Amino acid sequence: MAENQAENRSAAGSHTGAIGTIVLSALAGVVFLVALGLFMQGGYLASRQLEFEAKVLEAPDEISTFIVTGRDALSATAWLPVPASAHAQAVDRSFFGIYLATAFALILVVGLAVAFILQFKGRDKSEAGQAGPPNALLQGGFVLAAVILAVFVIASGFGPWLDQEIAPWGSSVITVTARQGDWDFTYPGGHAADTLHVPVGRPVQLFLSSEDTEHSLLIPALRINQAVLPGRQTQAWFTAMVADTFALLSGVPGGQDHADMRTALVVHPGPEYDAWLAAVSDIFSGRTLEQVGELLYTRLGCKACHTTDGNRLVGPSFLELFGHEFDTRQGVRITADAAYIRESILEPNVSVIAGYEPVMTPYAGRISDREIEALTAWLQTLSSLGAAPEGEG
Amino acid sequence: MDGHHRRIGAHFLGWITGAFLLGVLLAAYVKIMALGGSEGGPEGQTRLVRQLLTYHGLVMVFLCVVPAIPAILGHFLLPGLLGADGLSRPGLALPGLATAGLRLYALGAIVLMLSVARGAVATGWTLSPSLALVEGGAFTLVAVGLFLVAASWFLIGVNFIVTVHHRRGAGVGFFDLPPAAWGIYLGAYQLVVAGILFAIIVLYLASARAFGTGLFSDQTDPLIWQNYFWFALRPAAVMALVPAAGVMSEVITRISRKPLAAYRTVVWSLIALLGLSFAGWGLHLVGRGQEPSLSFVFAVFNLLAVVPVALIAYSWLATLHRGAIVGGAATTLVVAFMLQAGIGVLLGLLQSNLALSSYLGETIFATAHLHYVLMGGVLTALLAGLYHWWPELIGAGAAEGGGRLAAYLYLIGLNLAFFPQIVMGLHGQPPSVPVASGLVGWQTLSQAGMALLILAVILIAVNLIAALIRSRSAPVSGR
Repeated sequence: MAENQAENRSAAGSHTGAIGTIVLSALAGVVFLVALGLFMQGGYLASRQLEFEAKVLEAPDEISTFIVTGRDALSATAWLPVPASAHAQAVDRSFFGIYLATAFALILVVGLAVAFILQFKGRDKSEAGQAGPPNALLQGGFVLAAVILAVFVIASGFGPWLDQEIAPWGSSVITVTARQGDWDFTYPGGHAADTLHVPVGRPVQLFLSSEDTEHSLLIPALRINQAVLPGRQTQAWFTAMVADTFALLSGVPGGQDHADMRTALVVHPGPEYDAWLAAVSDIFSGRTLEQVGELLYTRLGCKACHTTDGNRLVGPSFLELFGHEFDTRQGVRITADAAYIRESILEPNVSVIAGYEPVMTPYAGRISDREIEALTAWLQTLSSLGAAPEGEG
Repeated sequence: MDGHHRRIGAHFLGWITGAFLLGVLLAAYVKIMALGGSEGGPEGQTRLVRQLLTYHGLVMVFLCVVPAIPAILGHFLLPGLLGADGLSRPGLALPGLATAGLRLYALGAIVLMLSVARGAVATGWTLSPSLALVEGGAFTLVAVGLFLVAASWFLIGVNFIVTVHHRRGAGVGFFDLPPAAWGIYLGAYQLVVAGILFAIIVLYLASARAFGTGLFSDQTDPLIWQNYFWFALRPAAVMALVPAAGVMSEVITRISRKPLAAYRTVVWSLIALLGLSFAGWGLHLVGRGQEPSLSFVFAVFNLLAVVPVALIAYSWLATLHRGAIVGGAATTLVVAFMLQAGIGVLLGLLQSNLALSSYLGETIFATAHLHYVLMGGVLTALLAGLYHWWPELIGAGAAEGGGRLAAYLYLIGLNLAFFPQIVMGLHGQPPSVPVASGLVGWQTLSQAGMALLILAVILIAVNLIAALIRSRSAPVSGR
């Protein structure tokens, strides 16, 4: 009887011992997490302040070769870079919540294991306790804590993640084409560049596709990584809240020239962006008439049916066209002068050169006089008779 | 035939150690190149980096981590764990299959490395078809090598399942099996599924490359390959923690010198983890064009795993509590496993958060996660097992002091090498592009850790081999 009581006491004593150890491990865990947190978060708090000093950027009209400086890394935190959107902030909150909860659980479990090993090391085998039935309360506590953790993990990420799937109404659309070593960002006005320019505070939607292999659009500051796949269109959207320049790269090792897919996201203050977009959308500024003509040849899709090397496609080649004489399908002899070219763009199927079908789309109402002039000027450069006097056009 | 399975295990130990050292050297070479500042240099060098990383991944995953625990510890220990050693027909149920498995593995490893001579590939270890079918390099040889290796996994798995079903000692039921036997038995199912499925799809990929026929072409939606690939490989490669947890449970009861607490709960938890390991592959496809609703389902399946993990953690703590614990290298490695595999699980939880998962999926964060799980979890369990059973296997103990030092070095090196990668990943750094200027400090830290890790692995190898040589002077029982 007395022996039994003694045994009970010692069992109870060791039980309190275990609880003491658990409390000590938990305290050690909290101290460790706070210390690590202070160390890592020091930079984070400092960087958050930057967010409110939206910097005005002296962005040149066209940034073709952009060297990414260490700027976003310098103002970065130890854990995460500056969050540049509400989505990024939500993702960060998720991260810190899960990180703190799981790190605490891990430190508790490992701390207990170490404590038990130190406490029970070197005891004689006869002293080893027997495996009784598990302590249902403790075991249940472990399971409950795990379930709560799991629910928190899925719940905290669900909102920000779902939010990413649906762009807000009225977002301005930028089309993104990826190919090995290169990005093409095409803006509403038709301008294409290899850097992404967006206004601050307005939602922007990206439609992404790849011309060759798999890529991904990774913008760390926005916590966005979206697959860019061949034969498929994907989308992403964001509202950048900080006017600055951020890194933009491809996360997938997309073969050759993968490293060159590092470019920049330039977030402009609203008015500055509008001015920039208007400037780059005006194709005549900074270009000669001939250069505009050549640009239109690609952009309007003339390329699909007319070559510039003399080869015949659906329509006649543009090489040696201007100024030369041709017979039409009706047997009339015409000269491909400025007037004929103007007519062939606006009402193309009225007089078609013999040997070709009248299948071209009329461009009347879809092209300005100045653009026709530009195309004509460019066609002259492709012809040996280009310098010939322009008829009445 | 007595001792046949141990000889096979010893051969595998040699091959896998060799593969591991090769894999470490390939990674180290990339780091050395980065030190020399040649990353981001001319095109050829970035291609070289991609080639090195591709072979590092292939060697480590296919030749090393997936077969490590079954092929080494399984062949060494399984018959003994079943109480079948010393019977009239001891050993594995199908010894011929074990030999065939070893030969296929060796042949596959040689063919895989021969491809380097014919033109190294740079597809990444996930063998994306849009690169595999287009880029230069002897991809067909790589595919054939991997086919042979996968076939060897299948043979090993079948052999273990048959052995557990038919070679248990008299009166030994399934719930009398020690936890290590359960771990190896359940791991065998992962090997069977991964082996047969991966062998088939990689053969399809080879036929697409060589003859332009079959399931895949460079026009095929990349998600199709990714679904097949991760379904086959997630259980065996990422969830190789299942056999590892079985082995660790065994080591923990042995160092505590008392039976495993809540034994049946642990076994059922391992079975549950095996089941969930087949249901989580889609987590690798979040943010890669997968249907959002599917991503959600996969994240939930993955998170269900926290319950068995919590139950196993409880059982281990309850086993250590009031045990009569033997100190030593194996005990140090138990703590190392709990910490490292624990960090692996922690990172896994972060990746089960869909918003974080789609952001971090392509960054070096995912790489760090994989390394904590595979090097911190699976290889630590293998080392703990080797240290624990080495005396039993060769009749002489490894040097404990050296073992402990190596274990500490391994632990420090591992964290120094891969903790910085977590931070770099959170900053959006993908694994195969030059490091952003602000992250160079972390990169340097990671390189120092890598150097320590190599030192530790060499120390461990020397320690175990020294014990082997010492044992040669004394007659060894059971060989």
